[in-house]
Amino acid sequence: MEVKNKNLPDQNGFYGKYGGKFVPETLMYALEQLEETYNKLKDNKDFKDQFYKDLSEFVGRPSPLYFAERLSKHYGTGSIWLKREDLNHTGAHKINNTIGQILLAKHMGKKRIIAETGAGQHGVATATVAARLGLECHIYMGAEDVIRQSLNVYRIKLLGAKVHSVDSGSATLKDALNEALRDWVTNVDDTYYIIGSVTGPHPYPMIVRDFNSVVGEELINQSSELFNAMPDAIVACVGGGSNAMGVFYPFININQTRLIGVEAGGKGVETGEHAAPLNDGEPGVLHGALSYLMQDDKGQVKETKSVSAGLDYPGVGPEHSWLKDSGRAEYVAVSDEDALRAFHEVSEFEGIIPALETAHAFAYLDTLMKEFDSSANVVVNVSGRGDKDINTVAEIDGIKV
Amino acid sequence: MNRLSKKLDELKKQNKKALVAYLVAGDPDLDSTLDIMHMFVKSGVDVIEVGVPFTDPIAEGPIIQRAHDRAITKKTSLEDIFKLITKFRLKDDETPIVLMGYLNAFIFFRHLIEENKNNSVDSILVVDIPGELNIADYGIKNENINTISLISPTTKADRIKSIANNSSGFIYYVTLRGVTGSSNLNVEEISQNIKEIKKYAKVPTLAGFGIKSIEDAKLLSSHADGIIIGSSIVKMIEDSSDSKEFAKIGEYLSDIKKAIS
Repeated sequence: MEVKNKNLPDQNGFYGKYGGKFVPETLMYALEQLEETYNKLKDNKDFKDQFYKDLSEFVGRPSPLYFAERLSKHYGTGSIWLKREDLNHTGAHKINNTIGQILLAKHMGKKRIIAETGAGQHGVATATVAARLGLECHIYMGAEDVIRQSLNVYRIKLLGAKVHSVDSGSATLKDALNEALRDWVTNVDDTYYIIGSVTGPHPYPMIVRDFNSVVGEELINQSSELFNAMPDAIVACVGGGSNAMGVFYPFININQTRLIGVEAGGKGVETGEHAAPLNDGEPGVLHGALSYLMQDDKGQVKETKSVSAGLDYPGVGPEHSWLKDSGRAEYVAVSDEDALRAFHEVSEFEGIIPALETAHAFAYLDTLMKEFDSSANVVVNVSGRGDKDINTVAEIDGIKV
Repeated sequence: MNRLSKKLDELKKQNKKALVAYLVAGDPDLDSTLDIMHMFVKSGVDVIEVGVPFTDPIAEGPIIQRAHDRAITKKTSLEDIFKLITKFRLKDDETPIVLMGYLNAFIFFRHLIEENKNNSVDSILVVDIPGELNIADYGIKNENINTISLISPTTKADRIKSIANNSSGFIYYVTLRGVTGSSNLNVEEISQNIKEIKKYAKVPTLAGFGIKSIEDAKLLSSHADGIIIGSSIVKMIEDSSDSKEFAKIGEYLSDIKKAIS
């Protein structure tokens, strides 16, 4: 199906039937204020200049598009290109969005910054931009993630932010989001909430997508320069879906490029123990948006299972739900086991240790590359680097670091 | 006219304030919930607000969150809650019942709300939808169930008007910026905002969130048409969840009722 209109969301924040603003009344005014501020600033020249200046000088953009020679040879059915978001300052794509949102916070005169984090990359990226502006910063993180991402917890503390360990529910990303929303309801007057993915109530999915779209915009130019065509496929991992949305969005109208999102298959989609709502979920409402959601037979949100903290989330950004239903993007899942194998393979083939999240995208190449011949150009969005995952992987491999 | 509108009308005619009491269905179990609901009525409660447990109750403070968790451990679903209310109605066909919960559970079990056997439920309050909207906007239609919208200290004047117009049960004024059970009541702000709401509202305005002591209850009832007590009750249920001796809750509510009468 051809998707003609990429001017979504509509004025009420919907992508088709997905999205919206499902929040307690106390937050409605804050969301209106944010939307108003964003709409006023997004095309403002000074604002854009500042955003791109920070991305260039502080983050180190543009990130390279790198030809993965040995990996390409390994499959032998085309060229594999890596969009190197792992080379950004702080080590992942998450910084693109926080650079933009902290400018909004500053413009709105907010004194206090809060954020949720799963793998800790968004926590680090938020603590980083808050430190740069000298703003008080609080990061909510599931207790289980605090343990498995201890390196990032320490980084956040070094950057002067306070980490709040969240014990409620499943003690992962979803619960961190609950707690951040509760903080925001309580401190809404002076607090800016930097949501880290294309999730949450409108206007967040739009704002996060727009700031992170710099990735896809660069990729259009780099593809023309390096292989004189648009990619045949772009592969990106999907938890909440911000790295995928950032690289997919500028390509929505470029129909020859297949857009493939890879969810966390955990122990296997068929076991029910995974974090793959687009593969095995039904539409439902969580954290302010209607989207595909993992729920049980009583309408309760199910606990998720993934080796990757950043993908361990039962929901997904509403625009992905729309892209799935419209057929413009494909969504598949990869198990923990396959992701771990890819983690090792990519490290050894390319000298790049990918984040466990990113390893899911790499693992899907095993299936995808069989569909192409040698002239294909396939881009993997390397959403982040794997330093943070060393302890997790070593433990699984039975090695004490 | 359903039980809720009838009750609120009566109270208004008698110049009395409404006392609304909240609990979470299935906390600590459904039999206890049924007993406590009947005890509410004996203690002078005018309207019962039944919390529908959800895994991710983002507007709730720790006390009510824990109650949701306990009820979910017992696998309490909206289906069970409708059965509970049918049982309650065998002995009490007068007391209005409001379901309070999060949109996902209501969408998931929309057929139960549309059916609403014997009209046993009178009203629904969805915590996580904007005040101008109600369940009908999400395809859940039942003319005999009215809706309760929230207005908070951060709601702007232009929206107060449209929300007030949309509410058909009562208007729930959230007395503070925060989750349920917090404690930073600003009485002057509350009084001014309720005055503003009353300019437009066709239905009574009740105040809730953060009302704990008899003094809070007395003070706020002088500004609103009634008050809603939640976290303090749920805390007492939690403290007695093993012994199942809930009589103290009845005494507490009787005292509140006296104080606002």
